[in-house]
Amino acid sequence: MSTTAPPIRPGPFGRLHLTRSERRNLRLGLLFISPWIVGFLAFLVYPIVYTLRISFTEYTGFGEPEWIGLGNYQALLQDDLFWISLYNTLYYTALAAPLGVVVAMGLALSMNQPLREVPLYRAILYLPSVIPLFTLSFIFLILMNPTQGIFNQFLMAIGLPNINWFGDPAWTKLAFVFLAQFGAGQVALIFLAGLKGIPVTLYEAAMLDGAGVWSRFRNITLPMMTPIILYDLILGLSLGLQVFTQAYVITRGGPADASRFYVLYLYDNAFRYGKMGYASAMAWILFVITFVLAMLIFRWSQRWVHYENQ
Amino acid sequence: MADSTYRDLVRKLRGGRISRRHFMQSAAALGVSATSISSALRANPSYAQEASEVVFWTTHTEPELSSLQNIVDAFNAGNSDVQATLVQVLGDETDTTQLMTAVRGGSGPDVYMLDRFIVAQRAAEGVLQDLSEFLGGEDPSETYVPFAWAEANFQGTPFALPFDTDARALFYNIGMLQEAGIDPAQLDIANGPITWDSLAEMATQLNETDADGNFSRMGFAAYTDQAWHYTYGFAFGGNFFDEAACEVTPDDAGVVAGHQWLYDYVAALDPQKVNAFAGPVAATVTVPEEQQVFISERVAFTITGNWYLKTLPQYAPDIEYGVALMPVPNEGDESATWAGGWSAVIPQGARNPEGAWQFMQHLAGEAGQRTYLEEVGNLPTIVSLLEESSLFTDERLRFFAQDLLPTARNRPPLPVGARYWDELTSAWERIYLNQEEPESALAAVKDRVQPDLQGFCPIDVV
Repeated sequence: MSTTAPPIRPGPFGRLHLTRSERRNLRLGLLFISPWIVGFLAFLVYPIVYTLRISFTEYTGFGEPEWIGLGNYQALLQDDLFWISLYNTLYYTALAAPLGVVVAMGLALSMNQPLREVPLYRAILYLPSVIPLFTLSFIFLILMNPTQGIFNQFLMAIGLPNINWFGDPAWTKLAFVFLAQFGAGQVALIFLAGLKGIPVTLYEAAMLDGAGVWSRFRNITLPMMTPIILYDLILGLSLGLQVFTQAYVITRGGPADASRFYVLYLYDNAFRYGKMGYASAMAWILFVITFVLAMLIFRWSQRWVHYENQ
Repeated sequence: MADSTYRDLVRKLRGGRISRRHFMQSAAALGVSATSISSALRANPSYAQEASEVVFWTTHTEPELSSLQNIVDAFNAGNSDVQATLVQVLGDETDTTQLMTAVRGGSGPDVYMLDRFIVAQRAAEGVLQDLSEFLGGEDPSETYVPFAWAEANFQGTPFALPFDTDARALFYNIGMLQEAGIDPAQLDIANGPITWDSLAEMATQLNETDADGNFSRMGFAAYTDQAWHYTYGFAFGGNFFDEAACEVTPDDAGVVAGHQWLYDYVAALDPQKVNAFAGPVAATVTVPEEQQVFISERVAFTITGNWYLKTLPQYAPDIEYGVALMPVPNEGDESATWAGGWSAVIPQGARNPEGAWQFMQHLAGEAGQRTYLEEVGNLPTIVSLLEESSLFTDERLRFFAQDLLPTARNRPPLPVGARYWDELTSAWERIYLNQEEPESALAAVKDRVQPDLQGFCPIDVV
C-alpha cells in the first residue's frame, strides 16, 4: 500500500485514468465499504426516491398507489394547515437556532474556565443533553405546569405572572424554544473544542497590547469561532425545521394549532390520516425549503466566517 | 458458524497459506451467503411464530391492561390448540403507527384492539381484514348494540367485533355543593336534567380565587375530563354527519349552539384565568388520577364516564358524589350523551387468522366482556349482557347501562374519523380560549375535513 495519495488525473468527461493497481485498490476499497453502500442505497437512497414517486400519488400505505400527478402539491397550497404549520415551524426555528448558538457559546465559555473543579461543572452543564428528548418533554410538562410546576412557582415568587406555557397559544412556541436549549450541551462540546483550538499566543499578544476581556472575546474568540457558529446554525436550522418529539409528547399540535409543527402535521397525514402521498409531498417541500435556507446561510456566511488557513 | 469460518480464513491468510485474491473471494461468498440465509429466515414467517400462537396487541395501560391479561389467561386455560399472547404497544385512540408500520413490514399482530370509531378509517386504508368470511353468514347485528355494530362496519362490510362501551354523565361533589348552600337534590335523576344555564349559575357560586385573582377552585371547569366537542355538540342536539349529502356537519345548528354555550360560559369568567386553571388538565392532556380536578376537589362538577365509578373509590374514597343526567339547553328537552369504546380487529398479514378469530370471539364475546365489566367497570356491547340484572346491582352503574346507553349518540364512523376528531379539537380549543367565534371556527373544520371525505362518498353507515 502506498503511503502517499495517488495524484488524481482528470480525463475527458471527468473519467479517471487509473493504473492497474489503482483500479484494484479502488475495487477492494469499494468491496470493503460495500456493507455501508448497501445500507446507504437500501435505507436512504431508495426511500428518498420512493417518497418522490409516492408524492405524485394518492396512497394510504396499503394497496396500490393511484397516480394523481401534481395533485398533492396543488392541494397543499390550498391547505390552510400547511401554511399554519410552516409558519409555526419557521417561527420556532428563527428563534431556536440563533438562541442555540448563544446558549452553546455561553456553556462552552463556562466549561472553559481555568478552575480546578471545571470537570464537575462540565458534567453538570452537559447532563441535560443526556436526557432523551422524549423524557425531557415529560419533565417539562410537570416543571412548567401553572398550578404545580416548580418553574412557575419560581416565576411567581419573583413577582412575575403565572404563565400557562403549553396551554396558552401565545406562549407555547416560546416554551418549546426554551425547552430546546436544554439540548445545547451537545453543541457546547464542539464549541469547547473550538475554544481549545484557539492559539493562546493570540490572547497573550492581545493582552500585551492592553486588550480587555470583552475586546479579546470580540476580536479573537468570536472570529476564530465563526466556522463552528456556522456549523451550529446549519445544524440548528435542520433540527428546528424538523421539530417533532416535544410537540408530539406535550401538546399534540395544540392549543388552537399553536404547535402544529410541519413534521407533526406530516406525521399525522402519513400515519393517522392515511395520506402517505400527501405526507411525501410535504417531505419534499420541506427538503427544498431546508436546502434553500441552508444555501442562503452559506452565502451570507461568506461575509462573516473566518477560516484560519485562508 | 460464519464467524468461526471467517476466523479460519483470516488465520490462513496470515499464515500465507492462502492468496489475497482467494481470501477476498471466500470472504465475499461468506458475506453473500450470510445475507441470503438471514433474509430466507425472515421470509419464512413460521420460523418466528408457532402456528398455534395468537399475538394480541393493545395500546391500553393500567388498569385495563391487567384485565385484558386476565381475559387472555382465561382463554389460554380453556384452549390447548391456540394460545394468545398479550403485547402492549405504543399508540392511542387514533395513533396506530406501530400497527401500520408493523403490518407493512410483515410483522404485525394477529389481533389488535382498535378504538371503534377509527375502524372505518383503517378499513378504508386497507389495514384490516374483512371478517365476512369468518362470520360465515352469521349476522351479529342482533348480538351487539346497534351503534357498536355500525361502528364495526365500513360500507356494509364487517371489519371488527365490538368490545366495550361507555357513556358520559355529569358527576357532582355533594359535600362541596352543600357547603355552598346548593341543594344537591335538584340534580337527582328522578327530577330530570337541569339546564346548562342552571349548571353555570350553580357553578359560578362555587368559584374561588386567590389573592392574585386566579381561580383556586371552580364550580365547573368547562373543558376538563370528557367535556369534549362531541359532548357539547350532542348535548345540544347536534348532528356531526349528514349521510344523505355525505357531508361532515360541524356547522350544524346544534353543534354550534353547544360550543356557543362553552364560549359564553368561559367569556363570562375571563378566558385567560379559566385556562390557567383548566388548561393544564384539559381533556387533551393526560393527567395522573391524583391531580385530576374532581378527585382533588378543585371542581364540584365534571363531565366524565362510567369508568369513574371505579376510579373514584380508589383515589378519592371520601368524596361523596352523585351522577346526574347531562344538562339540556332548555327546560323539557331530552338529555343527550354519547358512547365510545373499543373493538377487536384482524390486521392484514396476520399469520394466524383462524386462531385470531377464535381468540376474538372469546375477547369480544360474553366471557371477555363480562370480565372487563367486572374488573374495569366498562359497559359491554352485547345486548344480552346489558340485560343481565345480576351484573348491574350497583345503582349508578345500572343508570349508565340501562338509562344512558340505549339513547346515547356515537361519533359518526367515517373514514376520516381521526382527522375529524383532530380538527374538532383544534376548533374547540379556539372556542374555549375565546380566540374565535364558534360559527367560524366550526366552519373551518368542515373546510379541512370535507375534502378528505369526498373521495369515499357515498358512505353507507349501517
